[in-house]
Amino acid sequence: MKFQWIIGGEAGFGVMSTGITFAKIVSRSGYHLLDYVEYPSLIRGGHNAYKVTIGSTPVHALKETVDVLVCLNKATFDLHKHELTKDSVVLYDNEEFEIENGFKEVHVPFKKILREEQGQSIMKNTIALGASIATVGGDLQILTDMIESQFKKKGEDVVAYNKLFVKKGYDSVVQNYKEHCRSIIPPYPKPEDNLVMTGNDAFALGAVIADCKFYCAYPMTPSSSVLTTLASWQQKAQITVRHAEDEIAVINSAIGASHGGVRASVGTSGGGFALMVEAISLAGIAETPIVIFLSQRPGPATGMPTWTEQGDLLFAVHAGHGEFPKIVLTPGDVDEMIRLTAEAFDLADIYQTPVIVMSDMFLSESHSAVSSANVNRLFSSLKINRGKTVSNPTDRPYLRYKVTDDGISERLIPGAKGHFYQANSYEHEEDGHTSETAQDRMAQVEKRNRKQKTYLANHFKMPTIYGDISAASAVLVCCGSLKGVCLEVMTQRKDTAVIHFTHIHPLDEKRLKVLFGDSNKFIIVEQNSTSQLGLLLRQQTGIHIEKSILRYDGRPMTTSEIIGQL
Amino acid sequence: MITKKRKFSGHTPTWCPGCGDWAIGGAIKEALANQDLDPSTVGVVFGIGCSGNMNDFLNAYAYHALHGRAIPTAVGLKLANHSMPTLVIAGDGDTYGEGGNHFFHACRGNHDLTIIVHDNGVYGLTTGQVAPTALKGMVSKSTPTGIIERSASPLAFAISQGATFVAQSFAGDIPHMREMVDLGMKHKGLSLVNILQPCVTFNKVNTYQYYLKKGYRLDAGYDPTSYSGALLKAIEMDEEKFPLGVIYQTKSTPYHEQVPAYQQDKPLVQIPRISTLHDLVEEFR
Repeated sequence: MKFQWIIGGEAGFGVMSTGITFAKIVSRSGYHLLDYVEYPSLIRGGHNAYKVTIGSTPVHALKETVDVLVCLNKATFDLHKHELTKDSVVLYDNEEFEIENGFKEVHVPFKKILREEQGQSIMKNTIALGASIATVGGDLQILTDMIESQFKKKGEDVVAYNKLFVKKGYDSVVQNYKEHCRSIIPPYPKPEDNLVMTGNDAFALGAVIADCKFYCAYPMTPSSSVLTTLASWQQKAQITVRHAEDEIAVINSAIGASHGGVRASVGTSGGGFALMVEAISLAGIAETPIVIFLSQRPGPATGMPTWTEQGDLLFAVHAGHGEFPKIVLTPGDVDEMIRLTAEAFDLADIYQTPVIVMSDMFLSESHSAVSSANVNRLFSSLKINRGKTVSNPTDRPYLRYKVTDDGISERLIPGAKGHFYQANSYEHEEDGHTSETAQDRMAQVEKRNRKQKTYLANHFKMPTIYGDISAASAVLVCCGSLKGVCLEVMTQRKDTAVIHFTHIHPLDEKRLKVLFGDSNKFIIVEQNSTSQLGLLLRQQTGIHIEKSILRYDGRPMTTSEIIGQL
Repeated sequence: MITKKRKFSGHTPTWCPGCGDWAIGGAIKEALANQDLDPSTVGVVFGIGCSGNMNDFLNAYAYHALHGRAIPTAVGLKLANHSMPTLVIAGDGDTYGEGGNHFFHACRGNHDLTIIVHDNGVYGLTTGQVAPTALKGMVSKSTPTGIIERSASPLAFAISQGATFVAQSFAGDIPHMREMVDLGMKHKGLSLVNILQPCVTFNKVNTYQYYLKKGYRLDAGYDPTSYSGALLKAIEMDEEKFPLGVIYQTKSTPYHEQVPAYQQDKPLVQIPRISTLHDLVEEFR
């Protein structure tokens, strides 16, 4: 079962919070979901739309047609009518505007209710929630419980007032449009305890799970909610969050904190990441662990801030002047974002080098339901691995940049009595002092480069294979958030399989060549215009995939678009 | 005293003979030794330039950062471990030019750092181009017809933006520098020690003689707690008069003591991982 509900209205009138409330009701009733927020500036004030695709099993991609469209204004109908079918139910107020014929109309008397109960226009959302619950056969109690916990601080009157509007909306549908109501989300008796989270929430939670103690950022869409979430958790999670003056300060502060011994991280989008690049190189030579969350949006420059793209993959892989190892991860969904974020902090400590965790607007801002039990299990079972980070060195004298077989030297947390050293942005000798001799230079370059070999041997993960590659007539190759839509294609086209990369850089040439062989049934699926994943595979492994399906209009890739090009 | 000071001595400096850095380096070591510190107990972040090259000559838990970025690096280090006194040693180009934005906001935040700026008016390491503190009209390789901008006014800027300790000293006076660094380090909050320093190789204007003539010690009656008085004193630099001593000092809680996770006896680096996610995940239900 796949079902899609959309609510749309003028920006600034509560559409976003109505959408997340609806998504949580779906989750609390025991169903899975994937949502997506659209907030382009198409009309004055801007138009917001919140889509929730509901499923009885995990939802990988948004449904492309709408089952229920809630129109808080006329623009919502106009902008989404192309997604409607003859079976679609359209909720609107015919006292406010008329719509074209051909759909199942449900007239919700928003205006009348507001007038009679003297409600402010924001209460339209509350009515819409009640009406929506009725349309999809949900349990009103779940919504009223949420209202109670949300408004109880404001007093009984406020709770009762909100409940009244919910009830009015609900009744207006069940009393007059019984024939258009369906039983889509009748609550399970014992629904699974799921958490409704975005990719950004997942990064924030993953960071806390990994014991990140310092997060620094400058707000930039679509990464900003990591900053605001972690900032709100400072006491509870015992983390220090700094909103610094610019992205250059952001990453250098985090590098300083990491040098001080805490796990440190930063988050940004393309433009801010560009400002951080010099310091990424610093972390490379000074061998300071740092985790960088990079949530992509369409560039170049300011680009399209509230839309999605995978246009920074090669930039991330190549970020930083000079040569040094770096690890780039591309989780495919919220669940993977939590696990790979936790892993990223280990990798940064183990390899003492920058680790970039990539996201995009679609993954960063879309909610899905993840198992609370799995999250708690990850938290309690995770054994933090700080690699060769020590509070007392093994050898005397301590050599910060000691040349080793695996390329990794002991990293002493400053403060140990009887020792001292400098982390150095200049090339250096083993003890950290600046050096420009040919021997020191080569020894340190080679030492740093060896970390990449060690990583490929110990921590690189091959892409995940979904389905049967040998039996499939087409194999979709993707990374990051494109995982979901490719998996959805697989469920609709049984002759396809999917290869999804999470450990995107560096790549293991030998093992990947064996996996890909010389078949020509591979198709790259990417959210950019130049097939950067394809270029990266060619550059690092020699694998050349000629066919690609690319989308670069800022909208998330759809199932039908891929199937149409197979 | 000498043994304590010697513990801080790293490699032999490579500065030019007669460079003010020699005396500044010596004064910093004396100040650290004076406070009974040893290299295991001090954090230092160095900028890039002749001054930053002190990284190899001064022993400490140090980070030789990027040009312009020593301050934010030190901000992070201090927040990770507030039990460690943290110094920034950088030049005027590094602090007031490339890193001007960080200097501005570090003052606003009153981060508990002692920022020692080697103010010589030039970029010595890149062969003498003008720095933001160069006097208007100064001729250099990058400004062959003279620098068009007026010189920066770092003391007035720092005072007006929230620094809680602002002092100035002169590279020709080791005891005075030692005292200023010492007072700066004892101060809780952001302390700036701007040190007027002749570059004997590239700056033929701001020489030892120049500063001996134009610099003067603040008299005993001077009140560094007056904000407006300090600002008036600080802008004397715009008229090529250089007051030496503590120009401004006020009490204000440093940044790290105001962060929500602050624990006086337990720096961030010693705080263990939380024991449950229960309180955090509730908002996602």
